[in-house]
Amino acid sequence: MTHTPLRPQDIEVFTEAITHYFSASTGELASVRSAYLLERGGPVIWNDFNGLIEISGDYQGSVCFSAPRALLSHVLLKMGESVFTDERHGDIVGEIANTLSGRARRHFGEGLGISPPRLLNYPNTIFEVQAHSLPYAIPLRWHGYEANLVVHLEACGGAG
Amino acid sequence: MITMPRTRPLSLLIVDDSTVIRNRIARLVSSPQLPPIQIAGLAANGEVALHMARETRPDLITMDLSMPNMDGEACIEAIASFLPDTQILVVSALSDKATALRAILKGAHGFLHKPFTDEELLDSLIELVA
Repeated sequence: MTHTPLRPQDIEVFTEAITHYFSASTGELASVRSAYLLERGGPVIWNDFNGLIEISGDYQGSVCFSAPRALLSHVLLKMGESVFTDERHGDIVGEIANTLSGRARRHFGEGLGISPPRLLNYPNTIFEVQAHSLPYAIPLRWHGYEANLVVHLEACGGAG
Repeated sequence: MITMPRTRPLSLLIVDDSTVIRNRIARLVSSPQLPPIQIAGLAANGEVALHMARETRPDLITMDLSMPNMDGEACIEAIASFLPDTQILVVSALSDKATALRAILKGAHGFLHKPFTDEELLDSLIELVA
């Protein structure tokens, strides 16, 4: 099977998805910076909460949204939540990862199979890397908080 | 034809694997822009939703698609087979056209993409109950 790495226009889809997510969900814009390749490969976990979506179908790999607790607390507040437990933070980080991946299907089509989100509790969780190519990190800043979307994805066979 | 005024509030089943999204929808349906709506249940997956739909026979359902156990498409198809008059609004991040079309063909009546603003959800629900 051939594995085709993502093109710049594929990565741009995720950048747009982040911008759209914060605008629609919180009414406030996020500052999304340029994506860069994570040279070391493998899982890169930066933050308190990490929501992972596994990708299957015409593509393989994963999409992971990694954010500090304070950013997620603020998003919860903006969405009208009044409960700020670990469970609620885990819920919203998974929901953000799911929403960003789902929006990417506008570009990739239904061949981008999306799993329900699961939480990565690094380093206690063993994360099996599915894609052969290097992951991209897309850094963002919102309300002074830093977060990252890590897109580790490639097209299988004729997709892409 | 004489239309009789509704004597009871509409009932709504909210189906989504995210607690935050279920809560957000539940809060928004109390808006004065909508007719009175009573929450019939909150379900985190299709399997629980199917059970609750049989028990409560809701007038309206908001339905996520990506969920563990039973996904939204399978759940819509099953519910539409025994509650053909229930209005189902899909609220999902899956934004490709084929998925939306398939959900409609299986029995959904509307589709709202995540992320949504409060106004977008209210507009979709107003359209659903019209």
